[in-house]
Amino acid sequence: MPVDAISLEVFKNMFISVSEEMGVALQRTSYSTNMKERQDFSCALFNPAAEMVAQAAHQPVHLGAMPASVQAALQTFPEGLRPGDIIILNDPYMGGSHLPDITLVAPAYIDFDGGQELIGYVSNRGHHSDVGGMAPGSMPLSTELYQEGMIIPPLKLSDAGRINQELIALICRNSRTPDDRQGDLAAQIASIRVGDTRLTEIAQRYGLADTHEHMAALLDYSERLTRRRISEIPDGVYSVTDYMDDDGLTQEPVAISVAVTVAGDLLTIDFTGTAEQRPGCINAPRAVTVSASLYVVRCVVGDEAPANQGCLRPVEVITPRGSLVDPQPQRGVAGGNVETSQRITDVLLAAMSQAMPDKIPASSQGTMNNMIIGGHDISRDKPYVYYETIGGGMGARPDKDGVSGIHTHMTNTMNTPVEALEFAFPLRLRRSALRRGSGGDGLHKGGDGLIRDVEFLSPARVTVLSERRRYAPPGYHGGHHGEHGENVLLKGGYEEIHLAGKETLDVEAGDVLSIRTPGGGGWGAPADHDGHSHSH
Amino acid sequence: MPRTIVGIDVGGTFTDIAILQDGQLAVHKLPSTPADPSRGITAGIDETGVDLAAADFIHGSTVATNALLEGKGGRTALVTTLGFEDVLEIGRQNRADLYDLGMERPAPLAPWQLRFGLPERIDYTGAILDDLTPESVETLLSLLKDAPVDGVAVSFLFSFLNPVHEEMLARRLAELPNGPFISISSKILPEFREYERTSTVVVNSYVGPVMARYLTQLESVLGRGLRIMQSSGGSITASLAAEQPVRTILSGPAGGVVGAFYTGVQAGYPDIITLDMGGTSTDVSLCPGRIKETTSANLGGYPVSVPMIEIHTVGAGGGSIARVDAGGALVVGPQSAGADPGPACYGRGDRITVTDANLTLGRLRPDGFLGGRMTLDLERSRALLGDLAAGVGASATDTALGIIRVVNSNMERAIRAISLERGYDPREFTLVPFGGAGPMHACELAGELGIPRVLVPGHPGILSALGVAIADVVKDYSRTVMLKGDDLDQARLDTEFRGMEQLARAELLDEELPADDMTARRFLDVRYVGQSFELTVDCPTLDSPGDLTDHIASDFYDAHLQRFGYADGELPIEVVNLRLKLELAVAKPELEPAASEGTDVAHAAIGSAEVVFAGGPVNTTLYDRDELRTGNHIAGPALLLQLDTTIVVPPGWNGEVDPYGNLILEPETV
Repeated sequence: MPVDAISLEVFKNMFISVSEEMGVALQRTSYSTNMKERQDFSCALFNPAAEMVAQAAHQPVHLGAMPASVQAALQTFPEGLRPGDIIILNDPYMGGSHLPDITLVAPAYIDFDGGQELIGYVSNRGHHSDVGGMAPGSMPLSTELYQEGMIIPPLKLSDAGRINQELIALICRNSRTPDDRQGDLAAQIASIRVGDTRLTEIAQRYGLADTHEHMAALLDYSERLTRRRISEIPDGVYSVTDYMDDDGLTQEPVAISVAVTVAGDLLTIDFTGTAEQRPGCINAPRAVTVSASLYVVRCVVGDEAPANQGCLRPVEVITPRGSLVDPQPQRGVAGGNVETSQRITDVLLAAMSQAMPDKIPASSQGTMNNMIIGGHDISRDKPYVYYETIGGGMGARPDKDGVSGIHTHMTNTMNTPVEALEFAFPLRLRRSALRRGSGGDGLHKGGDGLIRDVEFLSPARVTVLSERRRYAPPGYHGGHHGEHGENVLLKGGYEEIHLAGKETLDVEAGDVLSIRTPGGGGWGAPADHDGHSHSH
Repeated sequence: MPRTIVGIDVGGTFTDIAILQDGQLAVHKLPSTPADPSRGITAGIDETGVDLAAADFIHGSTVATNALLEGKGGRTALVTTLGFEDVLEIGRQNRADLYDLGMERPAPLAPWQLRFGLPERIDYTGAILDDLTPESVETLLSLLKDAPVDGVAVSFLFSFLNPVHEEMLARRLAELPNGPFISISSKILPEFREYERTSTVVVNSYVGPVMARYLTQLESVLGRGLRIMQSSGGSITASLAAEQPVRTILSGPAGGVVGAFYTGVQAGYPDIITLDMGGTSTDVSLCPGRIKETTSANLGGYPVSVPMIEIHTVGAGGGSIARVDAGGALVVGPQSAGADPGPACYGRGDRITVTDANLTLGRLRPDGFLGGRMTLDLERSRALLGDLAAGVGASATDTALGIIRVVNSNMERAIRAISLERGYDPREFTLVPFGGAGPMHACELAGELGIPRVLVPGHPGILSALGVAIADVVKDYSRTVMLKGDDLDQARLDTEFRGMEQLARAELLDEELPADDMTARRFLDVRYVGQSFELTVDCPTLDSPGDLTDHIASDFYDAHLQRFGYADGELPIEVVNLRLKLELAVAKPELEPAASEGTDVAHAAIGSAEVVFAGGPVNTTLYDRDELRTGNHIAGPALLLQLDTTIVVPPGWNGEVDPYGNLILEPETV
């Protein structure tokens, strides 16, 4: 069957549904709050050349990063993967992003001509709420990777169908919450099996050659759509530099510089000029930087093209080796995936705003407000780790206000219901509210941030990883900036202690942690009282 | 003597009436009267000549649905625990589309100016940490006294464990001089997860005033009481529906599933997949010998967590628009030409739709549409299809076949989602198509999925009215308990259930329902400790042998295995919610099977025409479906024309009319 306009659409539906079915299996069977309630995982399908063909992305930060996992697996096992093999990894310098993100990769084979032929690969990535290291949640203010938790280079989790229980035992023993790890890994394995089965069914139904041809055609299709949209952006070089607050160890601002070059249907994203890699944990492995870049490309050129590697063919991402956006081993990366990636999108969108001022929103909150709490739950007599990211203000759009209290850009995790939280952990929510007035004023207003006040019912160790606590999200085209965020500890419930944006601290029962997230920037000069806009 | 049952389904375009009387089903269809639906209803009843006094009267209404979707509900205030007034607006803080920089969130149904927080707090054990003070209640009442609100919703944290604060406040709110519609979350949905619960109770207060007004008026016009269809597929008295209208919010598609399931069971096929293909979308539902329910639904972006039939909707229908996108793929839908301008062949639209593709392939007759009431413009479809074909780079015929194939692949994906993704093999099911377009696509779709049989009901266009007519009286109750380990014992469960039953029977007696005759069925929502999705299993009965927890766990593992393909027998479980269903089975008039009149169908043949199938054009016999009789055999290729649909029987498929007037189609070789 030759590839035509009709079969292309039919196969597109099928490939996407494979990754979606993997996602359904993972979510429904996973164990931890983080994967089930917050859907912090993604699933993808690859061709034999390890190019990503389709992805069910629940979290944009996983979007462009998974191909590196499959490539790392194949480099580690150059003799190839056999039927029934599953590779596991989390090493940020060998196919991973940060240690809590554990990725599984497996081949799918079909019986063919008396032997077995490779159809492609399936892969999933899930955020595990604890993989050991110096602080609960494995996202500490570290100075090197070894402090962040257990490093898993590409290893065989399943060898020709035999699950390596010893390896699972080792991983679980290195986690503060071993039961969750056991359950979540089982869910990831179940999801891999669903993907394998479904891909094999397609190859059986349509034949291996047709399946491979349509994988290739789908990559070409996404490439065509992306090129076409890029060519609609005015040619030029658009440069921006912005600063992160700090790396959690010093007060020094950290520059992210980017020059985006649009030339015909090609896009070059060059991070030359960005700060050198930092001693603190905010370094973003290259795969994470590529993910953030691909996210912005999809926002700008539209997402009608299936998310696959074809979208990246007309895009070149240049990352200076040894910089914040492409660190060398074994720098700490815990915050790179969650904070630096979020700021990279801000900077890229600011650059695109020069090219398309009437399409790009002002800066959004620019952080994920990671809050990681761990300790021993006295009343339930067991250790616990609770991880939450908190939404904030979305930047105002050229034609309307930003949305309040929402996750933007590189994350889309759901919050944990207050009642689910209190059933599960020795914590009590005192407030979950919009932070009114925190969005920047403007012709269109930035969205408001959030306030989440958590009371501790027993002693705990808390890590907060957040940004935009010093440099507020800017407004565009005369719009005002949004309020910067604040982290406050109410000692004993009353005494206010202002915390840094990135901090690990020990708290007592009765203390309250108040996270107040940034508002989004405004767009356009605010209207005066007569309803007319004016410039300053 | 069995009573007459009248089911009335009011849709946007048509009001359908199904009358079950003396073992016979009579159907009636007339235009709806959207400005005042009761006019269409009374006109329809007059036309049928039914004696209302001697009939049960059940109504499927979209009044609550439309009030919500069109933003025409009442002005609604919300009272919450202090500090949680914005939970309704924040929701789960995620966005529906990852890459849409212009995304919007639906506006909260209770605006921030009308959201009030009161200082009170109950913890996860149900213990009161902070009392609800009279002072704060007085302040609230003084604020609400002069506020022009039509409804008030109350949702305090953990009220499902201890409703005392909500109930106290409800009593005081009832004193308000303007008499707003009041609903409290511990009554509407006593379950955990504050956002979903709050959203549900707010929706209830929002649509409540509209629904109450409508039902009062309808009852006065009819001069009698009636029952209302709920989203769960059961019916309830109009006065309970007026109190809890949120339970009717998705009752529209529910009638179709109930009707299809009833039809399937009667024909001997209790395992069915329903396919309700309309103009803009297709609803599919899987019934594995029973109608499946869910409590996680969302309408217009507003979560509604009361029981409803599990229905999956996909944006693919007869009006779905076909186009070639910038990357060169033929895409069909989700944009739809709707009813206005409608498909190109309706004469106004200039976009090619699925209906146009069917028309040019000869699968739809230009003169047989809506029983000949409307003529389709074949030439217009052909001309516009030619333009599209140039973009595709294929012949017009291949392009039309491609449109059908693509829209079928969209529906195939929906059916996979409700079957294979949930652990069901579609090859063990019968496909039951209805709605205007379903019977045109069913056989090819079944072929792609390996479904061995298609059952086309006798009256596919009024299946919803039939479902409404035969809906049992059902009232659902639930309560979050969160029991595990030593807390989970038979005495505790029994005490909880007995308490629920007492309250439930008292409420139903108030409705003059024979509560003592109603069957109580007990269910448990169970999960592994720490999981956040529950599966519903039957609650073991008191005298069941063995350890209760083991018994529940074993049922849960089976359900988990079925649904997810694995289960871990070692992991501990917890019981999250108790569910109680009180049911009064409505005596369904047994339809009388007709005797076979032989296989010959010559009498029903009305001509022949060339119809294009995947293998090319074939000379195809046309039949008048109304002339088909029990026992008649149809050999594909064939087209069966009837008032509101056309059945396409491709080459290689054969059909037989069963004793109930259903057409059972099967491929020659499975």
